Amino acid sequence: MGAVIKKELKSYFLSPIGYIVIGIFLIAFSTFFYLTTIQSSTADLTNLFYYIALYGLMLVTPLITMSTFSGEKKSGTDQILLTAPVSMTGVVIAKFLAALLLIIIPTLCTIIYYGILCFWEVPDISIYLTSMLGFILLSTTFVSFGILASSVTESPIIAGILTFALIFAATWGPYEIESLSNFSLIDQFITFLYGQIDIATIVLFVTITILFLISTIIVMQRKKCIK
Amino acid sequence: MIEVKNVTKKYGNFIAVDNISFTINDGEVIGLLGPNGAGKTTTMNMITGYIEQTEGTITINGFDTIKKAKKAKKTIGYMPEGVPLYTDLTIKEFVTYMADLRKVNKKEKKENIQKVLKETGLDTMQNKLIKNLSRGQKQRVSLAGTLIGNPDILILDEPTVGLDPKQITEIRSLIKNLGKKHTIILSSHILSEVSQICDRVIIINKGKIVAEDTPENLEKKVSNNNIIYITIEDREDKFNLIKEKIKGIKETKLIKTNEDGTKQYEIIGEENVNLNKTIFNEFAKENITIFEMKKPEATLEDAFMKIIKEGGEN
Repeated sequence: MGAVIKKELKSYFLSPIGYIVIGIFLIAFSTFFYLTTIQSSTADLTNLFYYIALYGLMLVTPLITMSTFSGEKKSGTDQILLTAPVSMTGVVIAKFLAALLLIIIPTLCTIIYYGILCFWEVPDISIYLTSMLGFILLSTTFVSFGILASSVTESPIIAGILTFALIFAATWGPYEIESLSNFSLIDQFITFLYGQIDIATIVLFVTITILFLISTIIVMQRKKCIK
Repeated sequence: MIEVKNVTKKYGNFIAVDNISFTINDGEVIGLLGPNGAGKTTTMNMITGYIEQTEGTITINGFDTIKKAKKAKKTIGYMPEGVPLYTDLTIKEFVTYMADLRKVNKKEKKENIQKVLKETGLDTMQNKLIKNLSRGQKQRVSLAGTLIGNPDILILDEPTVGLDPKQITEIRSLIKNLGKKHTIILSSHILSEVSQICDRVIIINKGKIVAEDTPENLEKKVSNNNIIYITIEDREDKFNLIKEKIKGIKETKLIKTNEDGTKQYEIIGEENVNLNKTIFNEFAKENITIFEMKKPEATLEDAFMKIIKEGGEN
């Protein structure tokens, strides 16, 4: 599994994707940091996480995950991967973790903004940490959407569009159905921005992620029978 | 050892591989032959665990390819058709990745990588990006990835397709050498290649095994023992008279008259009649000089065409 994670991370930075993702994140973090804290003179990073979750993740996640399986299928390298002595579960988890790491690494850079704010006023560290935890959990779920989307098609573009649609539906869809209005993943994430760690919300994010990863494994196993 | 038992692969109603069974013993080099769409690649893909069979079982060194997939895959090195590679990696990075994927012991990894790179002639260019390599070099990289971890079994799907004659010779001699230490399954369209490299040939047509034998035996099966080609000097034109004298000649045909005055004939004898000795004796009596006498050589290509044709008619 370690070999696949290492190779995936290397591939991100051998193609422009890794640099584009890190670039988008850093520009977005800096812009929203300026708009939500410096310009409004508040030592609060929660808005920063909120806007990045709302706009940044929706754009970046499809970019990161769109080629995970579809790219390998398209180039034929899936034959190398799937005939190696690695389990399908191992491959899916490794690809998922590599994609997630690409989001977590720039997210950890927000510690710099926390440090900058400390010059004026020390922000509440617990709120900062719960916000980061919520952001990572939300990213985990979004990445699992992307991994599944990439496994169902041979076209990275279609996988990207499908991921965007899934994230959009999970974010805005529940508002359209009254009985589901509390289940928007963004709304669930917001509880972390108040400094709360809601176990039910963590379970929700983890359950959705596991469900999508298991679905990916099933899709990939099924493909072995029908391709 | 590879054991394929009653294996069938269906895609909906289409049967790509139809109830095939064969066994490959350790150290054998097997050629998998068949026209396009016969089921060669599907068979190879099932053996490697890339796809699963609809029915039947495949065991590799006793490990079922579905129930004990990881253990079965550990003993196989697979070189897929069209050499798919991670082109953004260097040769060394790719081979190292293959070593990590195949869980090569950390202590042996470095040594194994260098050994394989040397064996495939890539040691002097290991830091080159794969995307900048020629087709032949890419083929070698793919083969290097196959050899990492020293798997017992090598499965090579059309390993010489797209190569120039020099590269074909190089890869062929490399495979020949590998055959001394590994069990090899090789699919190819080049029949001469198969007869040169392989100990045994399995011919597949329309998803079924239509023949399984050594290249020599397959050639023998189609060889025509009752045909003789003879080149003679026949200044007095006695050939037509003499053929009446020799019993067992069914038919003769002048093939060509050479510039030096010699003539080449095709003599078709009756079944199970050996004409060689009689022709020698009778021609000598009549002062006809024999320059050359030979039987037509049957090739694996003839055998292949005949078997496929018979399969088609059935």
